[in-house]
Amino acid sequence: MTTNRRQFIGTLGAASALIAAPSVLRAQSQGVFRIGALCPVTGAGAPYGSGMQKMIIAAAEIVNAAGGAAGRKIEVVSEDTQTSPQAGVLAAKKLIDVNKVQAILGTWSSGVSLAVLPLTNDANIILMNTSGAPALSVPPANAKGLSYRFQATNDRFGRAFAEICVKEGFKRPATMAFNNASGIGNTEGFRKAWEAKGNKVVESVVYEPNQASYRSELQKVLAANPDVIVTGSYLSDTTIIMREWFQSGQPVKWIIPGWAANPDLVKATGPEVVEGVISVDSISNETAPSFKAYADVYQKVTGQSGQSNIFSAMTWDMVHALALAIEAAGSTETAAINAKIREVSNPEGTKVYSYAEGKEALKKGKINFEGASSVLDFDQYGDVSPSFGVFFIEGGKLNRRYVVNI
Amino acid sequence: MFYAQLFVNGLFQGLVIGLAALSITLVFGIARFPNAATGDSMTLGAYAALAAHKASGSFIVAGLGAAGATGLVLLLAYWSVFRKLANRSVVALLVASIGIAFVLRAALGVAFGHGQQVFQVPLARPYLFGGLRILPLDLQMALVALVTLIAVFGLLYLTAIGRQMRAVADNRDLARVSGIRPGRVMIALWLLAGAVAGIAGMMLGMKTIVTPEFGWEMLLPAFTAAILGGIGSPVGAVVAGLILGAMQEVSTPFVGFTYKIAIAFVIMLAVLLVRPRGLFGRVEGVR
Amino acid sequence: MEAYLVAIGIIALIYVLLSLGLTLQYGLTGLINFGHVGFFAIGAYASALLVLNGAPFIVGFAAAALLAGVAAWPIGLVSLRLRDDYFAIVTLGFSEVVRIVLTSERWLTNGVQGIPGIPRLYPSLGGATGQIATFATILAVTVFAAWMIRRIARSPFGRIIEAIRDNEEAVQALGKDPPRFKIQVLVVGAALAGIAGAFYAHYITYIVPEQYIPLVTFYVWMAIIMGGVGRVSGAVIGSVILMVFLEGSRFIRDVVPGISEVDMASVRIGLVGLLLILFIIYRPQGLMGDYTKR
Repeated sequence: MTTNRRQFIGTLGAASALIAAPSVLRAQSQGVFRIGALCPVTGAGAPYGSGMQKMIIAAAEIVNAAGGAAGRKIEVVSEDTQTSPQAGVLAAKKLIDVNKVQAILGTWSSGVSLAVLPLTNDANIILMNTSGAPALSVPPANAKGLSYRFQATNDRFGRAFAEICVKEGFKRPATMAFNNASGIGNTEGFRKAWEAKGNKVVESVVYEPNQASYRSELQKVLAANPDVIVTGSYLSDTTIIMREWFQSGQPVKWIIPGWAANPDLVKATGPEVVEGVISVDSISNETAPSFKAYADVYQKVTGQSGQSNIFSAMTWDMVHALALAIEAAGSTETAAINAKIREVSNPEGTKVYSYAEGKEALKKGKINFEGASSVLDFDQYGDVSPSFGVFFIEGGKLNRRYVVNI
Repeated sequence: MFYAQLFVNGLFQGLVIGLAALSITLVFGIARFPNAATGDSMTLGAYAALAAHKASGSFIVAGLGAAGATGLVLLLAYWSVFRKLANRSVVALLVASIGIAFVLRAALGVAFGHGQQVFQVPLARPYLFGGLRILPLDLQMALVALVTLIAVFGLLYLTAIGRQMRAVADNRDLARVSGIRPGRVMIALWLLAGAVAGIAGMMLGMKTIVTPEFGWEMLLPAFTAAILGGIGSPVGAVVAGLILGAMQEVSTPFVGFTYKIAIAFVIMLAVLLVRPRGLFGRVEGVR
Repeated sequence: MEAYLVAIGIIALIYVLLSLGLTLQYGLTGLINFGHVGFFAIGAYASALLVLNGAPFIVGFAAAALLAGVAAWPIGLVSLRLRDDYFAIVTLGFSEVVRIVLTSERWLTNGVQGIPGIPRLYPSLGGATGQIATFATILAVTVFAAWMIRRIARSPFGRIIEAIRDNEEAVQALGKDPPRFKIQVLVVGAALAGIAGAFYAHYITYIVPEQYIPLVTFYVWMAIIMGGVGRVSGAVIGSVILMVFLEGSRFIRDVVPGISEVDMASVRIGLVGLLLILFIIYRPQGLMGDYTKR
């Protein structure tokens, strides 16, 4: 473990921000709009959490540099969910009750978002998350319509898988799912979309995490002679499955979500094993100026490429969409802001890519913010529909062949 | 043929369970408590093997590294913790071993990160034996396990220290009266139990991937195998591990992949109810 | 600020309830229950499912206590005839099986997706008032449970279970049936854990099997070992320390910048391990206890 100087200074900065926080508590002061950055800094979400949090802070600085929103400065209070619902609830309580935040941004795992949402609903504030669980879209969770999701739902991933199967001409798909909400969400979404097209799934297996071997599970799936296996899986189990499948010698194609079929998988199995695997991921809005702006800041703050953490592009967009909505509403009342979020993000209106640009254009009329993570158009449930990149693993490299839009 | 293949898959998995159970049963028989740090000792062994393999490129060195490092760390745990609790209740030792398990896991997590690591083993297509697929890697694993078992049983049955260990396991007071120094036996025990757990961890790591949490998951099946085999019976632990591995796999068409993990618990309860001394255990025991 | 402290207080009281159950089982009777989280989970799911389907809270809580207690009964029957350490392994296995069943039986538990939107206590009161009312309710239940356990400890029943802990053969020789007493203790402790689970479900409002891992059991063990085994005050103090430890680690990161964020989870579990070891070796009676018979 090495802590480089930049991280060290960043941590110091975060620490001093936390120590400084009580001073602003004295009054529900005019001139500030306080948001909570509630990210999975420790636990399973740790690889993404601190980047997500840093991008919330960085985006808030950009908004403030452009004169704030509706005349207010955005102020960020950071907390850690520990990727656990219990710790997430306590952190959210602290943000709401102690820090008096007026919106919470950045919850990552579905469990945490589902546990925090009742609290933000109670406090009548907005929650912006990057979780996949379908339950977040509808009541009772999203009863007040105050929750916005910046990530594709697992259901949509499944639909993208079905589109790819059609495009690639597969006839006999089978599914393998890791037994958790996200894994099953993917394969169930696929099954629904696939069967809606009048097709059949030849075999489905749900497997448990942390097994020494998935050979029996594979044996069952392969016995049905599928031409493609669609998975809802993670990196570690996919590594084992791919190695065991390769050794079985039975030819079949694979469609695997991008968080599992990535360069780490290639490194773990060797390029020969995963040759031809189709990796599907929601892709950021890479060609947009907003993505470049985000990626530059991300590179500067973390020293890594902006593409390495798609969730931090989402949290970047959260601050932008929220601040533009505040500006458009000219108010800090939740209801007024909430009424404007779709208005500033969805089509019809001047396309804008940065906060300053959007603020200017708002004076003239309606705007349509195009985010770094996606074009950021919210449907009636507050969900976005990002595009999915379809990557083929060829010679150890992930090559993007085409893009699927749902 | 479907079931035969599942059975064979299970046997190879059972080898790892069997080795882990062997480590548990040695400690249980001689130090008289269930060592909950066994799972995380396996994790340590896997990381040690990874490091040794990276440094030398040789799997023999990796195995020796796993055995040596894990043996030494468990010896250290004995010196610093278990020795001080020798006259206390089983609970004290059990809780302390859980503490050691957590400390080990934390140290490995901080030292190696939470990302997965893999052994770079060449993958090969299986041999076909009349329709049964057998992987070359599995055969090599079986060989490693066999060599380990020969070494352990050689030590237990052919050397002076091995005889002393078995004497202490049979009857501690009698052993003491006949002049066996428990200190030396304990050192030998922890080195041996650690080495076996380390090798088991390396095998598990080579079959799968290595993360700081992966050993803990083996604890329940390993305890079950130790109980099924009869506490304190090395042969029993290995045989029970094989049986357990095979039963878990063969049962999956009936109970599904989720419940196969629960099979270990059901078997454990059944054994404790029907034949508490296990397959090979002595009569004294569980009550 | 008050509301945050009340929130921490509610979680702390839930741990106190869990610790009280374990105090009765292990501290007073010597039963090594390593499956406490299993009963906690049963209580949480029982009450959540019933209340979501329209049952009043009181029915949910009664069912939580009852089902957790009933689940403990066969486990006790089967395994109380075993030695201490076997009992520990059997209960550990039991809690893992509970988790597997909750994961697999999707028709009932919604499996790995978990159950969202569990009603909170006092839905008619507003957020802050409702929370204080919840706190008061848990406090009342906890005080009652603590009082009950003290009563049990001082009753003839209590003298028998303590005698079982210290010398089971002697109790048997007196013509008492130790397993019968042990089962009763196990059932009562499990029922307490069930009630704690119901409070947890109605407070967090979202439950999912992965919350009910053995680490929770060991948190409770850490609490009673630190606080003092076999004493009601020990369960309370231990749970408070546990809470400070769990919530306090939120702030360690800001004070000690050397620890990277990713490592905090490891550091936390390592500290649990270290504390367990140190207390077992150097202060087996815990902070509060004078309990050194063992």
